[in-house]
Amino acid sequence: MISLPDLLMPSRSGRDARARRALATLSRQASALRSAPRVPAVLAPKGPPAAKSVVVGSAQKLNQASGVLAFSVLTDSALEHYRGSFRNRAMFTPLVVSTLALAASVHGTADDRPDVHVARDVVFGLTALTGLIGTGFHVYNVGSRQGGYRWLNFFYRAPIGAPMAIAISGVLGNMSERLRRTPRGTPPTLYGLDAGKALSLFTALSLAGTTGEAWLLHFRGNFQNPFMYTPVTIPPASGALLADAALRGGASRRSAARAGMIATALAGLAGTGFHMRGVARMMGGWRNWTQNLLDGPPIPTPPAFTGLALAGLAALDLLERRDD
Amino acid sequence: MSDKILTNREPLRSGLDLEAMHRPRARNGRAPDPHVPGGWFPMREHREDEAVDFAIVGTGAGGGVLAARLAEMGFSVVAFDAGPYFRPLEDFASDETAQSQLFWTDRRVTDGENPLKLGSNNSGKAVGGSTVHYAMVALRQRPESFRSRTKQGFGADWPVDWREMWHYYAEAEEALKISGPISYPWGPSRPRYPYRQHDLNAAALTLAKGAEKLGIKWTETPLATLSAPRGKSPPCVYRGFCRVGCSTNAKQSMLVTFIPRAIKAGAEVRDLAMVGRIETDKQGLATGLHYHRDGAWRFQRARNVVVAGYAIETPRLLLNSASDRHRHGLANSSGLVGKYLMTQSNVAVWGEMDEEVRWNKGPPSLAITEHWNYDDSKDFFGGYIHMSQGPLPVEWASVHTGARGLWGKALQDEMAKYNHMVGLKMVGEMMPQERNTVTLADEEDQYGLKVARVTYSWCDNDKAMIEHSLDFMGRQLEASGARNVWRQPDDTNHLAGTARMGDNRRTSVVDTNCRSWDVPNLFVCDGSVFPTTGGVNPSLTIQALALRTADRIQALARRGEL
Ligand SMILES: Cc1cc2nc3c(=O)[nH]c(=O)nc-3n(C[C@H](O)[C@H](O)[C@H](O)COP(=O)(O)OP(=O)(O)OC[C@H]3O[C@@H](n4cnc5c(N)ncnc54)[C@H](O)[C@@H]3O)c2cc1C
Ligand code: SF4
Repeated sequence: MISLPDLLMPSRSGRDARARRALATLSRQASALRSAPRVPAVLAPKGPPAAKSVVVGSAQKLNQASGVLAFSVLTDSALEHYRGSFRNRAMFTPLVVSTLALAASVHGTADDRPDVHVARDVVFGLTALTGLIGTGFHVYNVGSRQGGYRWLNFFYRAPIGAPMAIAISGVLGNMSERLRRTPRGTPPTLYGLDAGKALSLFTALSLAGTTGEAWLLHFRGNFQNPFMYTPVTIPPASGALLADAALRGGASRRSAARAGMIATALAGLAGTGFHMRGVARMMGGWRNWTQNLLDGPPIPTPPAFTGLALAGLAALDLLERRDD
Repeated sequence: MSDKILTNREPLRSGLDLEAMHRPRARNGRAPDPHVPGGWFPMREHREDEAVDFAIVGTGAGGGVLAARLAEMGFSVVAFDAGPYFRPLEDFASDETAQSQLFWTDRRVTDGENPLKLGSNNSGKAVGGSTVHYAMVALRQRPESFRSRTKQGFGADWPVDWREMWHYYAEAEEALKISGPISYPWGPSRPRYPYRQHDLNAAALTLAKGAEKLGIKWTETPLATLSAPRGKSPPCVYRGFCRVGCSTNAKQSMLVTFIPRAIKAGAEVRDLAMVGRIETDKQGLATGLHYHRDGAWRFQRARNVVVAGYAIETPRLLLNSASDRHRHGLANSSGLVGKYLMTQSNVAVWGEMDEEVRWNKGPPSLAITEHWNYDDSKDFFGGYIHMSQGPLPVEWASVHTGARGLWGKALQDEMAKYNHMVGLKMVGEMMPQERNTVTLADEEDQYGLKVARVTYSWCDNDKAMIEHSLDFMGRQLEASGARNVWRQPDDTNHLAGTARMGDNRRTSVVDTNCRSWDVPNLFVCDGSVFPTTGGVNPSLTIQALALRTADRIQALARRGEL
């Protein structure tokens, strides 16, 4: 679904052939993946298709970001809520919603029309809402056990930050739809702010939050492997660079932030590898996978950083355009 | 004997590897690596006719730590243990009865008004000692416990400052990667535990609930089992077989921590090697020890001897080593070897919950309160902790058949409630009394050595403490919602005393360096040096003392006083 060179490449107005080729590939893959029918005629853009704008390109990148996050949440909540025996019917919600968000993201990635897609928009809104409600559930779950809000329960009850990942996916999707709507020739905005800045700050904030979650769980694991410091150093530092680039501008700040986002994206992927190794270090290792997938470090979570880094890269494209 | 068993391949009575129990494994320059199935460490070996710097008797909480530290300091060390060298990953069965091989079940005689029940609850016979099957509760004694006589008005003072002990506690906790709460609610501040606390099982949550109802503090128990991976040890899998040996190596016993350290640093470990006598020369100095291995008595020469066989075997060995110069036993000019034996009270209350608890899941004591160690408004001396419980089925059945005398249908009915049971058990400080002793009986064991006679009687203070704890724990259990609460008023566990340390050669067996007052090249390094036993489980204190003793020995050596 993701082609890294494409994602990491800064987009320019009047895109070059390489970007178009890559997008064409993505779109082919995406149409193969989706089972949804073609966009209904009413929702299809009016008039002859214009050359795709940078804004739509960024919107599509955001769809990739929201998709990666949704995929991470889908697999993670499937594992964790299965571990919790789906004790509460509401525990199915993140599975359903993240599946929808994933589908909408794939659809959006393949769709280069500069217009809001109502169904997608609804799904992303729902997704963001689910994340907020889920956070409420998790907060309640932590405090509801003996001892209330003490370290023990933050460590071992429902992970307090996890539902925010799906909320972020929803917000990124929502931003993507807002971006597409940008009239030609006007600077893109999000919720009344300059789009590049808004997306950068939101991404930086999300990275900080996700870092908090990683810190809590890696602290529980006592940072017993030095690589466990990766997600609590690289992403927040990169987030800070991104915020800096957004607030103060300048090509060198943007390059630094871009390097940070690339590092964060790679760290997310590497994290999956480390977590797989972590499973191997549990009693019985992979031979005992039915237990250790549940009790070992969660394999699906580190790519959430990759998803956020993709959003950061999209933000950098927008910043670049703004500053140029 | 060993050949017969090996060639006959008799049906295994236990799940344990019989070979390990009849043929030494640590030999020919290698010793088992407990973390790798079939794996070995290279091991340095020492000649018997060349005096090693230290010959250590026992490889448990005291001996295991000391062997590693002395070897790391560059001394030549041979550590002997009467027990086998197990490979937990391969040898340990998930079967309570099979695992009884871990206990010291050699013949002993018990008497007194309250004879001790010896075996599973208070002994170990293996490389790694009792820590191979201990419950891993790793606590510090409160500062005042080291000055019981001056600060609290009973027992005797330790010849060690509490701050020094607390320094070594931190070192021991770090070495064992104790998993404990982020901040501990009682006593002076201590560093954060090296690993995070374990999650609580339902039995532990019951303790928490009751404690909160009664308005006392509780916390997650500091435990010597991992909450995250460490090297080749995986984190705990919460299956609850801890007290019959941990088959995953999550438990940070001496066998998987200090013993490998000792061997890597050049120490030699001799398993299935029962030491029967310490030899002394005309000047009264120790020259080495006689030990039984491979069906024969052998002699190892040594410049220094350390006894670390725990509170029954240590005095027994000293008494069995009497000579012309030491007529009443080695190191016994004070007449106190074998005296002031202490156990810890381990009484319990049990009750039923409506909901399923499954108390055996996880280490047995995941939650704790030290309230009655730190609250001084009591009508007795000393203090106690109490913790949540999770006995395994056979152990639980034996509580019914033993303490309650149930059998047949009544026993069956009780056992059917197993998954709904909860309990609280205390570990309480019993008073040091001169009349509680380890002496030699006339009987002999399989090696032809005189067996220990263990005499024990509770004093009024012990009884008052037991009554207090039963009453309080009963109220707490009821407050947590348990029904049909009943008492088990007679259990005891850990041992201490019998070679007490002190400032005065007339009132103690060893000095502050844990060195014998009488025999300057003889040390004691185990629970027997405790002048008082405190209201917490003893292993961490034994380990901290062993770390300290190693430093003391190094200092003595540097000053040329060894
Ligand atoms: C079931 C159980 C649970 C426990 N739970 C806890 C707990 O949770 N927390 C805690 O702090 N403590 C606990 N303890 C107590 C703790 O294990 C002991 O206090 C501690 O291990 C004693 O250390 P030690 O070095 O004095 O003796 P040990 O660890 O018992 O080691 C003595 C070793 O010496 C060997 N030995 C003895 N005599 C000879 C000889 N003559 N020749 C050769 N070898 C000899 C023995 O075989 C043994 O291996 C528990 C004990 C048991 C039995
Ligand atoms: S519960 Fe943990 S410490 Fe106890 S035996 Fe199992 S793995 Fe070992």
